[in-house]
Amino acid sequence: MRRDDGVFRELIDDYLVECLPLAERVADGFVELERRRREGASEDGLLASLQGMLHTVKGNSAMMGLAPAQELAHALEDLSALLGRDGAPESEGGGAALLVAGGGLLVEQVRAAAEGGDPGRTAEFVAQVHAFAARTSEPTVPLGRRGGERRSAPETRPEGAANVVRVDFRRLDAMLEVLGEGLIEHSAVVEAFRRVARRGGAGEEIGDLDRAIVAMEKTMKRLEAVVMETRLLPISTVFGRFPRQLRDIAHSQRKRVRLVVSGGETSLDKAVLDRLGEPLLHLLNNAVVHGIEDPDERLRAGKPEEGTLELSAASQSGRVIIHLTDDGRGLDETKILAEAESLGLDVRSADPARIRALIFLPGFSTAAQVSQLAGRGVGLDVVAGSIRGLGGTIEVESRPGRGVTFVLDLPLTLAVVRSLIVEVDRERYAVPISQVAETVRTEPEAMRQINGRGVTLWRGDLIPVSDGGALLGTGGRPAAPRRFFVVISSGGRRRGVLVDRLMGHQDVVVKGLDRTLGRPEMVSGTTILGDGRVACILDAARILEREVPA
Amino acid sequence: MPNSFLVVDDSKLVHRMYRLIFSRGNLAGSTVYHANDGREGYSMLAAHPELSLVLLDLNMPQINGLELLIRRQAERLHLHVPIVLVTTETTAGDELRGRAAGAWDYLRKPFQPSDVESLVARVLAASPAASA
Amino acid sequence: MSGGGFARELHLLTFALDREEYGVPVGQVREVIRVSEITRVPHAPAHVRGVTNLRGRILPVVEIRTRLGLQPAAITGRSRIVVVEVHDRVLGILVDAVLQVTKVPLESVTPPPAEVVSPGSDFIGGVARASSRLVMLLELEKALPPPDTELSP
Repeated sequence: MRRDDGVFRELIDDYLVECLPLAERVADGFVELERRRREGASEDGLLASLQGMLHTVKGNSAMMGLAPAQELAHALEDLSALLGRDGAPESEGGGAALLVAGGGLLVEQVRAAAEGGDPGRTAEFVAQVHAFAARTSEPTVPLGRRGGERRSAPETRPEGAANVVRVDFRRLDAMLEVLGEGLIEHSAVVEAFRRVARRGGAGEEIGDLDRAIVAMEKTMKRLEAVVMETRLLPISTVFGRFPRQLRDIAHSQRKRVRLVVSGGETSLDKAVLDRLGEPLLHLLNNAVVHGIEDPDERLRAGKPEEGTLELSAASQSGRVIIHLTDDGRGLDETKILAEAESLGLDVRSADPARIRALIFLPGFSTAAQVSQLAGRGVGLDVVAGSIRGLGGTIEVESRPGRGVTFVLDLPLTLAVVRSLIVEVDRERYAVPISQVAETVRTEPEAMRQINGRGVTLWRGDLIPVSDGGALLGTGGRPAAPRRFFVVISSGGRRRGVLVDRLMGHQDVVVKGLDRTLGRPEMVSGTTILGDGRVACILDAARILEREVPA
Repeated sequence: MPNSFLVVDDSKLVHRMYRLIFSRGNLAGSTVYHANDGREGYSMLAAHPELSLVLLDLNMPQINGLELLIRRQAERLHLHVPIVLVTTETTAGDELRGRAAGAWDYLRKPFQPSDVESLVARVLAASPAASA
Repeated sequence: MSGGGFARELHLLTFALDREEYGVPVGQVREVIRVSEITRVPHAPAHVRGVTNLRGRILPVVEIRTRLGLQPAAITGRSRIVVVEVHDRVLGILVDAVLQVTKVPLESVTPPPAEVVSPGSDFIGGVARASSRLVMLLELEKALPPPDTELSP
C-alpha cells in the first residue's frame, strides 16, 4: 500500500488508534522487564504478552505497507524469543537494554506512520539485534523467520529454568473449580453423616466414619491451601510498573517525586492482582497531581523539594493491607464539609472519619472545584468502587499540611471465603467472616427504638439494627421474633442484622454473579452449600452504605 | 443474489480493511459478517450455512484459526463452506497442517484488495453451490 | 438458496404456560431439568425468579410468564426448567410443563395476528400449526435480551 493511496489514508487513523497504544505498552513492558531481571523478580508471562502485542503491531504494519515498523516489530519479536528461552544468554543485561531501546523506537516509528516511518533507523536497530545474537553464540532461532507460531497454548519447560513451569492461568482456574466442587461434596458428606449419626447413635462404625470425615476435612483444607498458593503472585508484579509511570506523571506536572516501595514480596491471588493495578495507579496519579505541591511551595513550607510517595503492602490474618502515603498538602476538612453541605448532605453529626470518607462519593469528587478544595481529583469514587468490587475497603487518613495516607484492605483471594451461614425466612445467606464482628443472641429488652429506627447497645456503642427479612426483601414481618443478630462491620461502620438461625462457618467457593442477575445491591456473589442449595453471599460494605430501613 | 462472507480477525484495522475491500468493485453489495475472535467466529459460522467464504486469521489469542478449523472438522459443521487461513508467514509444515484441518487455501498478509477479489473469484468458480 | 434442505421445517421443543403451547428451536435448548430449590436473589431484576444449582453451576432462572404478561404460578410436579443458551448466556426458563419435541413444517407458520397486542406479543415470532394444535413460537433473543440492556416490564 502506498502513502498516496486512498485506502491508506482512510485507514491510517485506525492503524494509529490500534497500534500506538500497543507500541507504548510494549515499550513500558520492556522497561519493566529490564527492571525485573535486574532485581531477580518473577517475570510471570510478561514477555509472552508483549510478544502477542508485537505480533499485532507487526501484522497491522504489514497490512499498511509500513515496512520500518513491521521489520522493527519482527526484530523485537525475535529478540524477545531469544531472551525468553531457558538459559538465556548471560549478556542478557545487554539484551534487555536493547529491547528497551527497540521499544522506544517502535513507538516513534508507529507515530511517524503517516509519513511512512524511518527505514534507516530500523535497519540500524536490526543490525544491532543481529550483532547481539551473534555475540551470544546461541545455536539459535534463525532471526528473520519463526516457524509455526501460535499464541494460545500453555508451555512447560522441562529443562533448565530452575523447576519453574509456565502454566496458562485458566488451568489454575479450572483446578480451583474442581476443588470447589470437592469442597461442596465434602460438605454434603458431612451433612449426610450428621443425619445418619443423629439416627444411628454411637457405635464403632459411626466412630470410624467420624474419624475418616475429620481426616478428609484436614486433607481438603491442605489441598485448598496448595491450590490457593499456586495462584499467588507477589504484589511487586503490580508495583513494578509504577516507577516509570510515576516518572512520566511527575515530569508532566513539573514536580519532583520519588516512590518508595516496600513489601513487594507480599502475595495475592492473581485474580485480585489483575484488578488492583488500575485503582492503585489512579491513586498515585492523584497523589502527584493534587497532593504533592510544586517544588517552590514545598520549599516555602519547609519541606524537601522532592515529594515522597510511600507504597507498602503487608499481609495480616488472611487480608492484605496496602498503604499509600504522600507528604503533600493533606486534605482540607473544613472545605470538604462546606462542599458537602452545599451538596445537601447532612454531616452535622459525622465524625472525622466519615467526613474524610466523603471524598469517595460519586457526586462529590467529580465536582470541578473539589479537586482543589479536597486536594484530590476526579475518579476516587471509581477507585473505591473497584476496591469494593474486590471485596476490599479503602479509607483515608490525613495530616493537614503534612500529607495523606490511603489504606486499602483486600482479601487474599477472591475464590474461597470463610463465611458464616445464616438463615432468614428459610433462605440461607453467607457472610464472609472478615465482615462479621460478632453474633449475639437477641434479648428484646436490649433493643430500643430511637427515631423509629432500631438500635441496640453493643460493646458500649449504640449501633443500628435492621431486620434481616426487611433488608433482604424476603417479604413480610417475621412470624416469631428473630433469635440472633449478626453484627456486620466494614470500613468502621457497624450494624446488627436480625436473623433466624446461625448455621455455622464454612469455606464457600465464590461463584460470580451471572450478569443476567444485574447488579443486585447487597450481594457480592453466590455459592453452593453442602445441601446443594444456592446461597447468596452478602456484601457488608454495600449493606452498611444504605439507609437503615424502618 | 449477493454473496455473504465471514471475516474473523482480532485486529480492528484488518476489519476496517475488509469493509473497504468488500464495498468496492465487483465485491460491492456483498454481505459481510465480522467476528473478533475464534469463539465468535465459530458461532457465526454455525449461524450462516449460506456463506460463500470465510477469511480466518490464523494467529489470534485464545482460540486461533487452526484450532477453529480442527473443531469444525471434528464437529462436521458446514463443511461445504470454504475457509481460507489468513497469515503473515507460514512454513510448508504449517500449510500442510492447515490443509489437513480443512483449510481451502492460504492468503498471505499483507494483501491488496485485488488479492481478495481474485481469491473470491476462484472460490466461487470452484463451488457449485454458491451463485456468482 | 445454498445449503437447501435445511429450513423446510422447524424443530421445536414445546412447553405449556397456562394451557397455551409455546415452542422454541431445539438448537437453543441445552437440557430440561426438574425444579429443585430456586434461591431468591435479593433485589434481582424483574423476571428473574432466582438461581438454582445445575451440577455445580449457578443457573439464573427466568420467570418467562411475567415476561409474557402472565401472572407467576405455583410450582407443581409437572413444572420444569428449560435450560437454554441465548446471546452466549446459559439461562433457565421456568415452565408449567414440557410437552414435546416436534417438527413443524415451515409453511404452516403464520405471523401472529396483528390485532392481538398484549405484553409479550413482541416476543412471539409466529404461530405454527402442529396437527390440530397451535404452537406459539417464542423468540428467546427478544424475550431474553443481552444482560447489558435493562429488562423493562
